[in-house]
Order: sequence, then C-alpha cells, then structure tokens
Amino acid sequence: MEEKSARRGFLLSKGWLQAVIIVMLLGFTVLGILAYRTYEDGAPVPVKVLDPQGQLLFDGDDITAGQQVFLHNGLMEYGSVFGHGAYLGPDYTADYLRRSSNIAIAENGGPPVDEDGMELADDPDPGPASDIARQKTINQFRENQFDEESNELTFSQTQTDAFNKLIPYYTRFFSADNTENGLRKEAITDPEDLRNLTAFFAWSAWASAAERPGKDYSYTNNWPPEPRVDNSPTANALVWSAISLVALLGGIGLLFGAFGRYRDLGWHGREQTVVSFRDPSTVALTPGQKSTAWFFFVMAALFVIQCFVGAAVQHYRAELTSFFGFDLAAILPYNLLRTWHVQLSLFWVATSFVAAGIFLAPMIARREPRGQGKLGYFLLVALAVVVFGTLIGSYLGIHGVLEDAATNWFGLQGFEYLDLARLWQVLLVVGLIVWVYMLFRVMRSRLRREHPGNMPWLFFLAACAIPAFYAVGLLARTAEDFTITEFWRFWVVHLWVEDFLEIFTTVMVAYMFVLLGVVREKVALMVILLDIGLYSVGGVVGTMHHLYFSGTPSEHMALGAFFSAIEVVPLTFLTVEAWSFLQLGANQESKSTSDFPHRWAVMFLVAVGFWNFLGAGVFGFLVNLPIVSYFEIGTALTANHAHAAMMGVYGMLAIGLSLFCLRYMIPSKKWPEKWAKVSFWGTNIGLAWMCFATLLPLGIMQLYKSVDDGYFEARQLDFLTDKTTEMLEWMRLPGDVVFIVFGAIPVLYMCFLGVKYTIARRGEDGDGRGEADAELFTVISGTSMEDEPPEISGRPEPTPGT
Amino acid sequence: MNTEVLLAVGYAALLLGGALLLEWLSRHTHNRSQAWRTSGFDYDAQHDFWVCHKGEQLWPTEFDREKRLVRYRAKATVCNACPAKVDCTDSHHGREVTRAVDSWPHSEAGRFHRAIAVMLVVLAVFELAVVLVRNHEPSQIAVLLPLFLLALAVTWWLAVDLIRTPSNFPEAKPAHGNRIGAK
Repeated sequence: MEEKSARRGFLLSKGWLQAVIIVMLLGFTVLGILAYRTYEDGAPVPVKVLDPQGQLLFDGDDITAGQQVFLHNGLMEYGSVFGHGAYLGPDYTADYLRRSSNIAIAENGGPPVDEDGMELADDPDPGPASDIARQKTINQFRENQFDEESNELTFSQTQTDAFNKLIPYYTRFFSADNTENGLRKEAITDPEDLRNLTAFFAWSAWASAAERPGKDYSYTNNWPPEPRVDNSPTANALVWSAISLVALLGGIGLLFGAFGRYRDLGWHGREQTVVSFRDPSTVALTPGQKSTAWFFFVMAALFVIQCFVGAAVQHYRAELTSFFGFDLAAILPYNLLRTWHVQLSLFWVATSFVAAGIFLAPMIARREPRGQGKLGYFLLVALAVVVFGTLIGSYLGIHGVLEDAATNWFGLQGFEYLDLARLWQVLLVVGLIVWVYMLFRVMRSRLRREHPGNMPWLFFLAACAIPAFYAVGLLARTAEDFTITEFWRFWVVHLWVEDFLEIFTTVMVAYMFVLLGVVREKVALMVILLDIGLYSVGGVVGTMHHLYFSGTPSEHMALGAFFSAIEVVPLTFLTVEAWSFLQLGANQESKSTSDFPHRWAVMFLVAVGFWNFLGAGVFGFLVNLPIVSYFEIGTALTANHAHAAMMGVYGMLAIGLSLFCLRYMIPSKKWPEKWAKVSFWGTNIGLAWMCFATLLPLGIMQLYKSVDDGYFEARQLDFLTDKTTEMLEWMRLPGDVVFIVFGAIPVLYMCFLGVKYTIARRGEDGDGRGEADAELFTVISGTSMEDEPPEISGRPEPTPGT
Repeated sequence: MNTEVLLAVGYAALLLGGALLLEWLSRHTHNRSQAWRTSGFDYDAQHDFWVCHKGEQLWPTEFDREKRLVRYRAKATVCNACPAKVDCTDSHHGREVTRAVDSWPHSEAGRFHRAIAVMLVVLAVFELAVVLVRNHEPSQIAVLLPLFLLALAVTWWLAVDLIRTPSNFPEAKPAHGNRIGAK
C-alpha cells in the first residue's frame, strides 16, 4: 500500500496513453491478419514442376535448395530477387524472365536469340509472324498452370526449353574463371547447385508472370515491368498510388491545420531562469558507465571499418574489374564487402545505442547496483564475438569454405540486413536480452515509483522492444518460402529499424534534454507519446510497402501504400517539429554561469532532425508510391534513401550519443572540441555530397532508364558501366574522402581518448551515488523542478551487493 | 544536344533550387524553434518591446554581447502577482524574453543548414565544371556556362554571408573547464 501511494501519477491526461495503446493494438492486429494472408495466399512453391509431357523438370526441394544456394553464397548482396537485394548484379527475377521470354519468342517463330537468351539484333522481321510469336509467348507465360489440388505446376514447352537452355548460361556466369562481374572466381561450380539455383530463378520468374487464380495480374502484381510477358503496372498500383498521394496531402493539411490552432502543440514558452551546467568531468561515473568507453571505442572502430569497406564497395561501381590495378574480387569480392558494409552499419549503430542505454540508465535511476560494470564488459565481449564471428563467417561462407548447414549456422544466412549466421543471430538476441536485464536492474526501484506511462517506463519498454522485434527475424529461415521470409525480414528491416529504434532514440534524446534542463519532463513526454502514436499509425502497417512485389496478395500493396504514405505525414510534421525541437538544445540563450558542455552532441542531434526530414521523409517518399517503386525498386534511388536515412538519422544519432557520454569521461581540460567540430562537419558534408553528387542523380537516371528502356536494361552492368554513370560514380570520391578522413577517423580518436581517460579514472567509484549527485547535469534555480519525482536522491536502493 | 549536358543542366538547376528551398525551410524550422521560447508573446518591432498574453509589456534591459541577444524583461511586481506565473517563469525578477540581433543564420544550427545549402551549390559548380571539361563545343558551352556562373554567384553570396555571421555559440574554454553554479 505504501509503495502504491508513493508512486508518481501520469504526467499527462490519460487520453494520450489510451490513444497510443489503441493505435498500436490496431496496427498489430492488421499486421497479424496480413501475416496470416501471406501464409495463405503468398506465391506458392509447387511440390513438382513438370514439363508438358508430365516428366519431372524440378521439384519444390530443388527450388528451396536453389534459394539456399542464392542466399548462402551471398548473392542477395550482389543482385536481387523480386527487386530485393543488392544493386550491382542483375535482378534475377527480371533477368530470367527476359531471357526465358526471349527464348520462348524465338521458339514461337520470333527473332532468334543467342546462347544467353538475348536477342541477336532488333527484330529482323517485325511482321505478323513475330507478333503472333510474341502473343503466344504472353499467353504461355501468363496462363497459370499451377494445380492447387495436387500442388503441381506444369510448364509450357517453351518454358521447359528455356529452363534447360538457361542452366548453361547461369553455369557460365557463376562458375566463370575470372572476377570481371565482381564475384570471386568460380563462385559456384557444383552442377547440382547451379541447376537448383536456376530452378529458384525460374520459380521467381514464373510467379512474376503467371496470373493469380481469378485475377488478371501475377503473384508479384505484374512486377517486373516486362512487355514480353505483358507485365505492366496493375490497376491496384495506379489507384493506390493516387489514393496514397491524396492521403498524404490531406493528412499533412489536417495535421498542420489541427495543431496550428494550438500554437506549437500547446506548450508555451515557459522560461527556466538561470541554468548552470555542471562540469561533466566532475560527475562521478559508475562502473557500468565506465564500461561504455570500450563500447564506444568498438563502435568507432566498426564505423571506420564500415567506411573503408563501403569505399571498396563503391569502387566496384566506378571501376568494376580492378581496384587501381589490383584484382580485389579475388580476395574480397563485391558481395562479401557489401554484406560486411550492411551488417556493420547495424552493428556499430546498435553498439552505440546499447552503450548509451547503459550510460543513461543510472542517470535516470540515480543509482547503479553492483556488478553492472562486469556485466557491461561481459556484454562487450559477447558483442565482439558476434560481430567478428559474423565477419569471419561471411568470409568463409562466400569463399565456399563452409557449406550447407555449416554456412547457415556459422557462415551467413544471406538475407540482406539479416545476413548473419543463425548462431550469431541467436547470440545477438540473447545479448540484447542481457542488455535489457542490465537496464532493468538499474531502473527497477525507479520504475516501482513511476506510473507506467511516464518517461522511465517508456525508456524501459522501448528498450524491451529492441530484442523483441529483432528476434522476429528468426522466423525468416532460408528453407522457408521466399515470400514468407521476405515478410518476416521486413519486420526487422522496417519495423525494428524504422519504428522501434526510432521510438527508443526519441525517448533517449528527450530524456537527455530533460536531464540537461532544455525542456520540461511534461513537454518531453508529450513529444514522445505523439511520436509513438503518429509513427505507429502509419509505420506499423506501412511495413508492407516493402512487399508490393514479393508475391504477397494485393491487399499488402493497398494497405502498405496507404499507410506508408500516412507515415510520411508524421515524418513531415514531426520532423519539422522535431527539427525545431532538436534545435532547442543548440540555442542556449539562458543566462548561465557556465558553458553548455554538449555543444557538438546537440549539433549532431540537429543533424538528425535535418536528415530525418530529408533522408527518411523526402528521399523515402520518393521511392514509396507503388507506381514509382514498380520501376524504381533495386536502383540507386533506394541506396540514396538508405544512406541518407541510415547514416543521416541513426549514424548521426549514434555519434551524438557517443559524444554526449564521452564528454563525461574525458576531462574538460582534455576535451577535443576541435575534433568534435571536424567530425561533425566531415560526416555531414561527406554524406550530403555522397547523396547529392552520385546517389540521387544516378537514381534519377536509372529510374528514367527503367521507364524508358526497361527495368532489365536499367539493372544491367552495361548501364552501370556507361560513361556518364561512371563519371557520376567518380564524383562521389571527394565526399567519401571527406567523410572518412574528417568524419569517421576523428570519432575513433575521440573514442580512444574516452578509453584512455576512463582507465586513468579507474580509482574513482561512483557506485551507489548519493545526494550530491542527485542533480546530475544542471543546477536549476527557482522552482522549476516541480515535475521531478518527489524522491530522487538519498539512500541508494538496497540491492544485493550494495 | 548531348544527353549528359542536358542532364547536368537539369540537375544543377535542381541543386540550386534545393539549396534555396533548404535555406527557406531551415529558417522556418529555426523560427518555430525560437517561437517555442516566445510562444504567447507578440513583438512590436516599431517600438521594440514584447507584449505577453496578459497584456504586460517587456522592455529591453540588456544587450548580451557574447550571445548577441537583446534581453527584454517584464516588471517583477506584475509577474509575481500574475496567476499565470507558474506556467510562465521561475524567475522572481519578472519574465524575460530574448531576441537575436543578427540576421539569419545567426545560430550554430542555422550555420549547419546554411553550410549544407552552400555545399549543394558548390556541388552544382563542381558538376558543371566536370561536364564542361568533357563537353566543350560552342553550343554546349553556351548552355553550361551561364548556369555555371549563376551557381558560382549563388555560392559566393551564401558563403560570404555564412562567414560573416557569428555562430553565437560560446567558445569552449578547455583551460578552465566549466564551473558548477551556486545552489
């Protein structure tokens, strides 16, 4: 009873909390229904594929085995299937569809083809015979001969012949004794693997052209665009694009109109008078907090490695066959470097968030139980094992040292962004659970005194969501149907990254501002709940915008398009608001008897606001509408969005959080202000250059090529090595150099200082901090602390070992 | 006309437009951020004072040279008796409102956005220069050069303005560190 009466009530009206809960429940109910529909009505994998004579051509196990060959050899980090994967190699769905339809047209009496399935020249005889051949081919490819009763699929004779002719083509491509395509020499040589791989491509091409039962469009909503099989945008793609656009414009108008009436979401410019910032290096650090110095050092090291790997990946696009005269692909083929680049981007950002969580928790709870430091180091070692295990495993997997189950468990699973092997994936989930436990043991006494809607609980719950939603990725298994694996993969790529990391970071940043005295707790809570509510309205169901063409039913496209367009509404609104909100920290106008210590940490947050608006909002919406995505998916515009959003938002945030924490570890006298400034300008200018010099213009050119000439053509190496394209790729170089030399390396140096001075402060022990450290960052005169909990200091909570 | 030249002209124009849009948008968000501090207060530019939503006037009391701000303050006796004080200020010396004296971009955040805008126009200059080197027939020069000069002029205008405006962020004093304020 006593405990209950001591608990602080919810700071806002209950409506805020209820609205957020309802939005989340509705979103996940819809997502649950869509998961059921994916299993029920996704593109089927037949048990057997027969030729017209009823002879077995290949079976479902062959398709699955081919999918595993594709994934375990890192080919999703080279090319793509259903538009998802990397962008140097072709999209194999479009590739197989083009070649097989060409072969079919030739057999039906149309223009002849070479042994690769490509037309020899423009149609030499574009007369009625050719037209008949093309129409016959369309009929053969669009007619769905899948028998739902027996689960058997029958190919037409031309499809059968195309399959048999394309096995040698893909054999030549993947077992080539050179590295001119960016893959290692003789990447795949086993005839059975090559046959199965071709079967997997054949299945994906079949699903992209065969009409769904009772519909006039294919399982992939007619993707890829291919006139040879009459694949063109569906009515759904056009109508839902238009509706999404209207929803976006209407939504923005409504939201701005509604909030515009209440002047800045209703919070007034309340003045907090004299704020005095405590010298961060006088704040005692707990053992847990000290352990984070090493986390940040590892973070920065991974960041630098990721940059160099990224530079090498980029070099493949500028100069495919050699690295300044050196045959890089013999050792580090494109797909290996890209899987490292993509995985490291998640690892270093996650390392920073994990460390910032460990660092902030005692500041929120005002206590830290014993053993937290040891747990921190244990977690660091576990993280290092996962990261380096993943990097080494990927190398062994792609170089063919590990095979089959060994690759799956220790090499790489091969799903883009979820490339890591099963073992490392499981260990990472366990590590994140340990991290949540670490936060819980620090915060439990504080949580006991707080209403579950208040900031300490939101901090903790947002942290819990991180392992929970990352674990969903375990449902994507290499032996599962590709459509289903894509569905679960995007729970991680979209829902985990774009929603739950976003929510956790919003809570962390808002909390930092509260602790710094920049905003009051009520205002911060309002921003957090608004953020969760508005992002989740569109963001949860909006996950489906990744699955327009992956073999899921058309309702995924309808709901995905509509809700992800709505997602842009809060992105526009909230980021303009958040952009302003984040600038608050940078504009310290209060009279202060001491300097604001977190200048560059806050400037990185200002950059987060900017990149969230540009990278996630503008560049994201650019590729979001189904009709745009139909021609664009898997081109440089996606890479443009990915770089601006991932590095711009999460990368900048990760660096900002590290600087915030490092400021407490490095003595004020030694604080490298100059390097913080250099890294801020280096990362931002470098990233902006990267996007605007190359990725955006190249993406626009590639989109134009796709609409004008064809998607197949836009994804060919011929286009990527064209002279204008090559010039654009080289134009990135100055920006990349600035990014690495002036952006990433200074971050590594600052993190090194963090370790150095934390070791020097080893003797101090802030464990069990008491009243003297109750006000950790700021000393605020007057009565402005009325929102603070009634009891924030005093005797440390008795915990085992304290 | 060569496709590369047309693409370069179109994209350079897009970069210039983007830089100006960013300039406007970042100024807008900055003003919103500023408005959070002065929400509920109206500024009378002609007589240089603020009026709070209760009708009390705030007159200039101080010019902060370091942060380049004018500080305005209401009468303490009026504020201390005001029922809205709890939502307005902690101060017992009357509510204070500030106004920056420099024009945009007068803050560190403003300089960041301006620097990105400068980078966009520098990129336009760079891109047009590269394309000019690769395509220099008279007709191509006639199309590329005017835009190149325009981009150069915009770069000069934005960059010089950026260099001239102060960041208004107090320089760090690592030799002294920061002091804990008196409780």
